[in-house]
Amino acid sequence: MHALNVDYMLSLTPILLSYLPLTLGMASLGMVLALVLASLLAVIRVSRVVILDPLARLFISFFRGTPLLVQLFLFYYGLPQFLSFLVSINGVTATIMGLTLHFSAYMAESIRAAIVGIDRSQSEAALSIGMTHAQMMRRIILPQATRVATPTLMNYFIDMIKATSLAFTLGVTELMGATQKEAASSFLYFEAFLVAAIIYWIVVELLSQLQKWLEKRLNRAYQR
Amino acid sequence: MKTSRLIARMLGLASLGLALTMTALAAQAETIRVGMSGNYYPFTFVDHDQLQGFEIDVMNAIGEQLGDDVEFVTASFSGLAGMLDSGRIDTIANQITITPERQQKYAFSEPYVYDGAQVVVRKGNDAIHGVEDLKGKTVAVNLGSNYESLLRELPYADQIDIRTYESNIEQDVALGRADAFVMDRVSASQVIKDKPLPLALAGQPFSRIENAYPFRDDDAGRALRDRVNEALDTLRDNGTLSEISQQWFGTDITQPPQNDSSAG
Amino acid sequence: MIALEGITKRFADHTVLDGIDLSLERGEIIVVIGPSGTGKSTLLRCVNFLETPDAGRIQVGDLQVDATHASRDDILALRRRTAFVFQNYALFAHKTALDNIAERMIVVDRLSKSDAHDRAREILERIGLADKADAYPASLSGGQQQRIGIGRAMAAGAEVMLFDEPTSALDPEWVDEVLTLMKQLAAEQQTMIVVSHEMQFAREVADRVVFMEGGHIVEQAPPETLFTNPQDERTRSFLRKVLAGNGPAAP
Repeated sequence: MHALNVDYMLSLTPILLSYLPLTLGMASLGMVLALVLASLLAVIRVSRVVILDPLARLFISFFRGTPLLVQLFLFYYGLPQFLSFLVSINGVTATIMGLTLHFSAYMAESIRAAIVGIDRSQSEAALSIGMTHAQMMRRIILPQATRVATPTLMNYFIDMIKATSLAFTLGVTELMGATQKEAASSFLYFEAFLVAAIIYWIVVELLSQLQKWLEKRLNRAYQR
Repeated sequence: MKTSRLIARMLGLASLGLALTMTALAAQAETIRVGMSGNYYPFTFVDHDQLQGFEIDVMNAIGEQLGDDVEFVTASFSGLAGMLDSGRIDTIANQITITPERQQKYAFSEPYVYDGAQVVVRKGNDAIHGVEDLKGKTVAVNLGSNYESLLRELPYADQIDIRTYESNIEQDVALGRADAFVMDRVSASQVIKDKPLPLALAGQPFSRIENAYPFRDDDAGRALRDRVNEALDTLRDNGTLSEISQQWFGTDITQPPQNDSSAG
Repeated sequence: MIALEGITKRFADHTVLDGIDLSLERGEIIVVIGPSGTGKSTLLRCVNFLETPDAGRIQVGDLQVDATHASRDDILALRRRTAFVFQNYALFAHKTALDNIAERMIVVDRLSKSDAHDRAREILERIGLADKADAYPASLSGGQQQRIGIGRAMAAGAEVMLFDEPTSALDPEWVDEVLTLMKQLAAEQQTMIVVSHEMQFAREVADRVVFMEGGHIVEQAPPETLFTNPQDERTRSFLRKVLAGNGPAAP
């Protein structure tokens, strides 16, 4: 059709890169918050805390069972029609909240599985030396479960980075939104999305390296 | 430039974890917040981070006329209605076509663009010469756009494979994934003229469309609508609208057509 | 000093422990023997509330706990006065040998990290693993792991140590080093309840041997009496089978 327009790609690169901090910022903050919430949910589920357990189950079921986009629309556009104070939440905050709620539901399940996978006798050992349930979770179970769950959680983080592209439906222009707009004006789709793809790719590749390093560190205790 | 300022502010707020502004600003129209997709060439588009296009120029002229600031907010098209409904923007400048359904929900300004719905095909496609040839074909339209309902109202709508897109319908027709797309004649002509895609108009426009600004149908929304209407009248009378149209399209799309064969 | 009264435990409709009474003095060492599945381990786990007894009372020192309304605090207090050694060691896999032993002193006794580590080093010295302080469980032999498990129990300074078949999971080559350590503790007058199939150990170390079967204590006596002159036919039959090979019974 036409030759690859390298000049256009080069001129677009710094522009698209300038949206990367927002993409990574939203994903990182979402990840931290989701980790906290997911750990809480997982502990509630594993410990079968009264009242909270069925609520956690409902939460997880809803946020896993519905698409992120639907959730974002519900909270950003739907709820403010009933709860007017929610209008004051801006798109970035709403995206971070959406990512947090959505991914915490998935992450809770993998953390839960990791917790269940820790040999039960270790929790008995922790209890037998007089730890409270909370101490046992915090000091013995969660650190080990985190190690087991780390590869999966990193994958969720990578998913999350890609999912920030939905922020454009909430009026937040991040990397993907910026690319769409540039492509729609130049009609150089291949070039524009290729630049975006390469940026995502490099970021994810760097993260994978980080993941490898992290796993190596976390596995130190388990090498003979 | 305004977009990046907006992003900076949003980021600042998010990092605080709080967002308390904007409600106070709602509907007071000292700043008119205008939503648009930013990917509808040449009405609203971004070229190397610069938001520009016909919609931007017209809206800025309106703001100048009213002595108000205009703040542009870009969001994907399917999010715009929600932003308007939930009070995050005051109106949408994205070639919104007046339809009976939309009129029930929104207070529309007077039309500022008169246009027709146009079938566009891949260059060299001899099978489609107009809307009547779409039977059995795959036709792309933008999600939530008026062209989707126009197609669905056709008596043979059930024989058309209507596909809805968030963006990039031009590309899918150029690639042959869809047989045709439908959008307004003006921007379709513009795309064919300016962009390196192998596309062609198929026949004449098949439906008159009038595009206007939707406002929330409440007191504040209607008040703002009335002020915008006054500004539009002035701009039409003093030739500003025509001027902007000529500049972008080489023709005046802002005047109601005198006869029924809408613009050639 | 330590008294169990009417300890009863049911799993579904199966009664595993049927009103067990057992008491021991400070410094006394009891070895509990009996066929598999007769509730020996469950009894031990009830003392530590790893299983919640359905009825009965547990007294350790001046602490009295009624199983039917034991509060969270009761259970914690009870666990802090007892120490448990597990059949499969149950070491904390993400912690070094030193940290496995120090953990309780840091978390439960709220010692400073350096004090806890100092004391943990002393314990490592006593169990002969001073050079393994920084080793993770996965890099240690079964015998070494179980010695760390015992070291962890020693760190509690508990009034009674509960051993749940501490050598059953070990390869034969590691059994001796663990038994030697337990004898060393016995010589130091540590109060212990040991569930074990090691008859030789029972003979040498126990002050009293308890024979359990079917959720009951059938017979209890000093080892020389119980092994040479058992009163109950069930005890005799069990001992015949176990001692036939003139060695430790397979579990």
